[in-house]
Amino acid sequence: MGKIIHYRKKCIGCGICFELQPELWRMSKKDGKANLLKSIAKKDLFVLSVSNAIQQLTQEVTRACPVKIIKVL
Amino acid sequence: MKERKIELLAPAGSFECLQAAINAGADAVYFGVEQLNMRARSVNTFALTDIKQIAAVCRANAIKSYITLNTVMYNHDIQLLRRILKEVKKYAIDAVIASDFAVIAHCNRLNIPLHISTQANVCNMEAVRFYSGFADVVVLARELTLKQVAEIIKEIKRKKIKGVSGELMKIELFVHGALCMAISGKCYLSLHAQNASANRGACTQNCRRPYTVTDTETNEVLQVDNEYIMSPKDLCTIDILPELVNSGTDVLKIEGRSKGADYVYTVTKCYREALEAIENNSYTRNKIAEWLKRLSTVYNRGFWNGYYLGHKMGEWASQPGSVATERKIYIGKGSKYYPNIKIGEFTIESGSVKTGDTLIITSAAIGMAKEKMETLTVNGVKSGIAVKGDKITFPVGAKVAVGDKLYKIVERANG
Repeated sequence: MGKIIHYRKKCIGCGICFELQPELWRMSKKDGKANLLKSIAKKDLFVLSVSNAIQQLTQEVTRACPVKIIKVL
Repeated sequence: MKERKIELLAPAGSFECLQAAINAGADAVYFGVEQLNMRARSVNTFALTDIKQIAAVCRANAIKSYITLNTVMYNHDIQLLRRILKEVKKYAIDAVIASDFAVIAHCNRLNIPLHISTQANVCNMEAVRFYSGFADVVVLARELTLKQVAEIIKEIKRKKIKGVSGELMKIELFVHGALCMAISGKCYLSLHAQNASANRGACTQNCRRPYTVTDTETNEVLQVDNEYIMSPKDLCTIDILPELVNSGTDVLKIEGRSKGADYVYTVTKCYREALEAIENNSYTRNKIAEWLKRLSTVYNRGFWNGYYLGHKMGEWASQPGSVATERKIYIGKGSKYYPNIKIGEFTIESGSVKTGDTLIITSAAIGMAKEKMETLTVNGVKSGIAVKGDKITFPVGAKVAVGDKLYKIVERANG
């Protein structure tokens, strides 16, 4: 098991995470930023527990994020 | 011609910079909120909820405020755009600076005055005529020569091209600050290299770095005689300002929403003084030298006149960052002020200070204040030097508040 951490506050809404991994991300219609689906909010962070396989796949999203606010643990 | 008042437009990336711009004599400021502006990556970004206070501060100081909404817009941004424009309308921000047609259409629908951003790359009269159906001001592409600018303005007058307000279309020019190697910011270098689109305000400034060329057959590294071949020097027009004024432009814009209050204050003040000098015929060579010296103290990559004079092609930076002659080092935070004796109290969080140091204090209320520290009291005892952890007091003209930031100015050795 692993974790995806999203520091949503700094999101600039480019949409690359949603483009690469639509099963995990949605662009919010409300404020144009990305939402990490089914994640739990912890202050400014959004955390989602995922399988090792998904954790691996998210590495690409982590690299692609222009403001580097997605971390995989 | 003499009665024509030219507007000096300064950048405001934070409340500190906003106050610094006001203190330095700006006629108007521009700012961005949330992620829909070209400085989305910037450390200090205003939030939607800040619009109210920005509007109040600007109104109290009788200056205009413009909001930049000039990124590329996607479908998922439209709702945020609507929410921002609702606030803009509610608090009567003077205009929106935009290039995307969604923003243009929404502003028109809501009767919000519109300025066309330099991101729209307006380079000719017909484009100005096209935008006159939607806007009142056009920020021209930064690559035009002054001759081309003057021709556009002449044609606006001759053909009486009026904007939405019913007045003649106004033209805005950049006078100072960073330039791009790409036409008015339309650059994809950062996007291709780091997936960080400059057109979403996420530019990683790849152009500002040195590069070498490698022959892949021999692995030989070729020397490029100027390593910074993609990093133009910063625009500075203080020495050709009368020519910009004579082109007939209505607004002069200073770049730098990511820069500090010291930059905003110094640059705005120099251009304010230069405009006044032009107005009362006291614009002299000596003054230009003095302004250039002051402008060099704050963030810059070296100066050139940009494309305005036409004949000179690209001038490139000599190093990746600033070549400013001065540098500010963070020292600590304000903790108290004794108004009767005009003494400020600060707690040192990093580095050290000694008597004779030049310090700057920045805050939303003060903007930027520069002080030479003549006497210094450390933890209640008169002393010559203070280090991390010390509580210091010294005479300060500006009213220090809790949390105000204290910096030390040091001269930078440029190699």
